[in-house]
Amino acid sequence: MSDIIFIGLSLSSILLLIALGLSITYGAMGVINMAHGELVMIGAYTAVLAGLHLGLNLFFALPLAFVTSGLVGLVIERLVIRRLYGRIIDTLLATWGVAILLQQLIRLEFGLSFFGIHIDGLGPGLQNMTVPAFLTQPIDVAGMTIQPYRTFIIVVTLMLAGLTWWLMYRTPMGVQVRAIMRNPQIAAACGIDVRRVSALTFAYGSGLAGIAGVLLAGFKTVMPEMGASVVVDGFLVVVVGGVGSLLGTILAAGILGQINGIVALASNDIIARAVVFAVVIALILWRPRGLFSFKSR
Amino acid sequence: MSSETSSTLPSSTSRLQRHADWAVYALFIVMVLGAPLVIDDVFWLNRIAKYLVFGMLGIAIALSWGYAGILNLGQGLFFGLGAYMTAMSLKLMSATSLQQGSDKPVPDFMLWNAEPGAVTDLCCINKGSFLWIPFQSQWFGMAMSIVIPLIVAFVLSSSIFRLRVSGVYVAIITLALVLLVRLLLIDAQPITNGFNGLTDLGWLTIGGFEFDPYMVETYYVVAVSLTVVLLLGRWLVSTRAGLILQSTRDDPTRARYLGYDVAAYQIFFFTISAGIAGFAGLLYVVAAEFASPSFMDIGFSISMVVWAAVGGRNSLLGACIGAILINTVEATVSETEIFKEAWKLIIGGIFVLVVLYLPNGLAGIARDLLGRFERRRKGTPAETAPKAAE
Repeated sequence: MSDIIFIGLSLSSILLLIALGLSITYGAMGVINMAHGELVMIGAYTAVLAGLHLGLNLFFALPLAFVTSGLVGLVIERLVIRRLYGRIIDTLLATWGVAILLQQLIRLEFGLSFFGIHIDGLGPGLQNMTVPAFLTQPIDVAGMTIQPYRTFIIVVTLMLAGLTWWLMYRTPMGVQVRAIMRNPQIAAACGIDVRRVSALTFAYGSGLAGIAGVLLAGFKTVMPEMGASVVVDGFLVVVVGGVGSLLGTILAAGILGQINGIVALASNDIIARAVVFAVVIALILWRPRGLFSFKSR
Repeated sequence: MSSETSSTLPSSTSRLQRHADWAVYALFIVMVLGAPLVIDDVFWLNRIAKYLVFGMLGIAIALSWGYAGILNLGQGLFFGLGAYMTAMSLKLMSATSLQQGSDKPVPDFMLWNAEPGAVTDLCCINKGSFLWIPFQSQWFGMAMSIVIPLIVAFVLSSSIFRLRVSGVYVAIITLALVLLVRLLLIDAQPITNGFNGLTDLGWLTIGGFEFDPYMVETYYVVAVSLTVVLLLGRWLVSTRAGLILQSTRDDPTRARYLGYDVAAYQIFFFTISAGIAGFAGLLYVVAAEFASPSFMDIGFSISMVVWAAVGGRNSLLGACIGAILINTVEATVSETEIFKEAWKLIIGGIFVLVVLYLPNGLAGIARDLLGRFERRRKGTPAETAPKAAE
């Protein structure tokens, strides 16, 4: 029984990891960022490149990926999203274009492949990130086998969720973000620099995507298309949890991960994912605003 | 939500604009029907037939997105369902299905995966194979290509719109649904051939005439179908119901208070749009000779929206031309591997730019140019004209 819960927990933590960044960019800012998966992908590639060229391991890759994806996010916000606040469907479409652009940039090695230059670790092929050995050896604790890497992911995810909560609810910046969430015009009238705060919030959410990418790279092959499937899962979690609710996002990730884990054990992975989609559709029909939400906008 | 979907269509269309509109429609139809006179390469003709099918998908998207304000990110579901229904019938008509040591056709993949000693008959070769029995009739499969999408869309949209789910939530539900069905389709390997899809199909046969996909006649089937759908769609949005639909898009609350059953109009047009997508699936199978779960990939469904956005989401013909144009250019460019990758880079960039700067796509440009020309001819100063349009 504890095995099943642990599998579910591990699936949940990955969902949460991806959804955490989205709960900020979508939840707080009303931007459907289809390029979120590509920011995850960029984080994963940062880890691969840092390992190949700088000899840095996972622990150094985490902050590096946070900065890289965060900066890319900042650029996307400046060039595209800034012009689309309040046009939620258009943000979805424009960022889909951005997602294709980012995928192609990695695949074409920033265009260098046209000139016959090849950078190790980029390009259309599959890449791998090596995980430090002590995180791969299963440990036996009181008769239970513990996968250290999975545990590591769960711990990091919980820390990030804690950090995000602290930023949002215990810092002056967080107060400004939440004010913008409720009503951007009034927030601006109260002297909040909406543009600056929005840009930083978006960059922070993007940075979280980068960290998720590094952790995903530990057990998934890294490739230019890896972000596409990730982003949908993230959205479903955020929508089910309730837009703008951090607690809702965490609970939704928990519930969907457990459902996935239990059904996968009872039948197979494909059916498990299908059941998760069915549950999501039912929940959205039942409560379009999500399990936890406040009235706004 | 209403402000983003509201069109920038001129509130009153002038006579010149109406005439120009019809002229463009006529020109398009003449070009589509006349293409075989110019292009004698049957391989290109077959390719264009496929792009005309995508053009039909553009119409379906414009109908639900542009005219109803419902962004359906799962249009691939209806296209895929339509494709599979016809593909099942055509699979049973293929030579490989008939030459399996049985006098009744059985799909080859079922035999490969059959338990030893299983009866080689559709009734009981595996648990689900009986579902294939009615598809021995080609007409049944083709009818189902349209009927099943209509039913699914009706049930889905009834629950969505009666519960007044709107905007981005509709997009997410449709997205989740297409992924759900795709997974089920892949999981039902014994009856759907899973990931591989249905390949090696027979030809559509009407009255003893076999429609070889590489034949001018097959092109005409697609071209005429597209013309009919285009004109029917055009007529539909100009009816009273179509006008009310557009008012529900611009302001659902006002339409509701004026006494209109908003959900009923949304359900009707969402369902029609799904039916068109299903019909497109049918035609695609006839022209391309396969059906695959990739029709239900998210990327494909979003691509359709891209085509419509580039062509003009508020214009049936614009969306249709957008789809045909993008695919034709892509096919021309993709001859070499390196350009193919670069093209994807370009299309990503084009899409961002279109959303940012040209929310009405190519059709929007055409309307603007026409409007400018008209003002110049009338001698109205350009500065006062926008005010008059408001």
